[in-house]
Amino acid sequence: MTEEVNSSEEMKEIDVTPSPGSILTVMISILVTTFLVYIYRRIIVRQIRRSVWKSAGDDVVLVHCPTPGYLTPNISPFVMKLLTYLRLAQIPYKLEHDEPMGAKGKTPWITLNGEELHDSQLIIEALSKKFDKDFNSGLSEEEKAIARGFAMMIEEHIAWGLRVWRFIVDDGRTLLEGMKQPFFVSLIKPIFVRSQKAALWYQGLGRHSPSEVENMITADLRALSKYLGRKPYLMGDNLTEVDCTMFAFMANILYNYNRSPYYDIIKGEFTNLYDYVLRVKGRLWPDWNQCLEKTKLK
Amino acid sequence: MNTVTVEALRAWSCDGLKWLSKRPGQVISAVAVAVLVTARIRLASVRRERRKRWAKIGKDIVVLHGFPRGRYTPNASPFVMKLETYLRLAKITYVFDDTEPIGPKGQGPWITLNGEEIADSQLIIEALGRKFDKNFTSRLPKEQQAIALAMNLMMTEHITWGLRIWRYVIDKGEQLRKCSRYDLVSELAVYLWFPRIAKKRAWAQGIGRHSEKEVEEMMRQDFAALSDYLGDKPFLMGDNPCEVDCTLFGYISQVLWNYNGSPYGKMVKEDYPNLEAHHSRMKTLLYPDWDALSSLAVKE
Repeated sequence: MTEEVNSSEEMKEIDVTPSPGSILTVMISILVTTFLVYIYRRIIVRQIRRSVWKSAGDDVVLVHCPTPGYLTPNISPFVMKLLTYLRLAQIPYKLEHDEPMGAKGKTPWITLNGEELHDSQLIIEALSKKFDKDFNSGLSEEEKAIARGFAMMIEEHIAWGLRVWRFIVDDGRTLLEGMKQPFFVSLIKPIFVRSQKAALWYQGLGRHSPSEVENMITADLRALSKYLGRKPYLMGDNLTEVDCTMFAFMANILYNYNRSPYYDIIKGEFTNLYDYVLRVKGRLWPDWNQCLEKTKLK
Repeated sequence: MNTVTVEALRAWSCDGLKWLSKRPGQVISAVAVAVLVTARIRLASVRRERRKRWAKIGKDIVVLHGFPRGRYTPNASPFVMKLETYLRLAKITYVFDDTEPIGPKGQGPWITLNGEEIADSQLIIEALGRKFDKNFTSRLPKEQQAIALAMNLMMTEHITWGLRIWRYVIDKGEQLRKCSRYDLVSELAVYLWFPRIAKKRAWAQGIGRHSEKEVEEMMRQDFAALSDYLGDKPFLMGDNPCEVDCTLFGYISQVLWNYNGSPYGKMVKEDYPNLEAHHSRMKTLLYPDWDALSSLAVKE
């Protein structure tokens, strides 16, 4: 009897709480496993992807970018600029969406014959050289200078002004409206919007009031409209490189910014810009509708 | 005082010091807070005094707030030069002040006019153009106005950044400090703070992600475009100077005088001599007092 009582008491006294040593072991195991998975994804998966990309084909440009948009083939005007150029230059390309952001933290970027290139402008310059395509050859030196001025105005000023509307005025809603995003994006959107607002402060345009920015961008659009005038394309009768930039951004306003004042301006006061978008779209994007994302995320 | 009170005081202060010495962290924090609060109150009153002074300067006289004068150029900031050149072109009376270069939007230059503060050189030029009816670009044909705007933006939104990369990220502000007449506080601010913040800004803007060589090539293409567009003309848009010439002058002045060791001075002198000629033309026209403004010998 006594022995039974003793053994049940002994059993009650067995300490089942894990020791600090075993807690630590479990935690370290979890950390190490997470780290190994991370390394696997970053190094090994990347290597696998790159060897797949190499087989895209000789001289086939593999464009790494976000998935297609609902309203434009891509929500990023820089991607649209590059794709428009590739179509203008009739350079075969394929789209790839596993790694849209490149080494410089920008999109688009390309892989060509195993080599990686970043930044839409540097890519276009490199491809022009490689495939011997010069769409500016019909322009005088003065006209080339003007084209560069307008390209800079669009990419370094209008682009930021549009971002002011997208992130400061509209709070980033168009990010979710314009393309299919996985569910967690709507959760992290506020963080992304805040980082873009900080970028706008650093860049400078974010320091002005939205109405000041609206005046500035309206003046830019007026300048484009006045210079385009009655011409079919910005620099004259033929498409040139700057048209890829101009089309990308004007189309972006028309399709992805329809709640912004710039949409009203293009459709109302500067209708030649609206006609211009339709003209270039008809010429270089006859398959526009096939390039859009069809399935909506519930 | 009788000896008892003195003794009591001494004992009390000894106890007090002992008590304080046991809490060094709290003592230091308290002293720091007291110093900061006093400094803030003093700064606020200094700022108020300044603003009273500026408001009394005179009707329609612009108070141009900028960074301290340069040693080789009237200013080492292209934006201050652009604005000051415009004021001279438009013959608007102004007074230069360098006591508060950073304005309402966290940037300089900025102005006070009849007590009102306006920030951003471009917005200032537009506001003054309206007020004094001195908008030179509006007198051009519409297509030319469009080109002028594009050229202006190429400089203020692209060349600005390429030059900032060299000035702050590559050169770490050394030339800037050599070419400016800074007091100790400004010198320290530029030495400690400007390069770091410039790197962050350049990354956010995008240009900071490229290599040095890539940035240099981009700048070359911008200068080439300006040179090609200027051609044989005396000024960018024709026979008469306008706002965009002030901007061009602001940037070329920097590149020629305040960027020793960078590739840009040589680039402009050797490859784009018409830009240097434009600089000389504007300098002769609008800055007869260039040497007096920037000379080492002159103390303001």
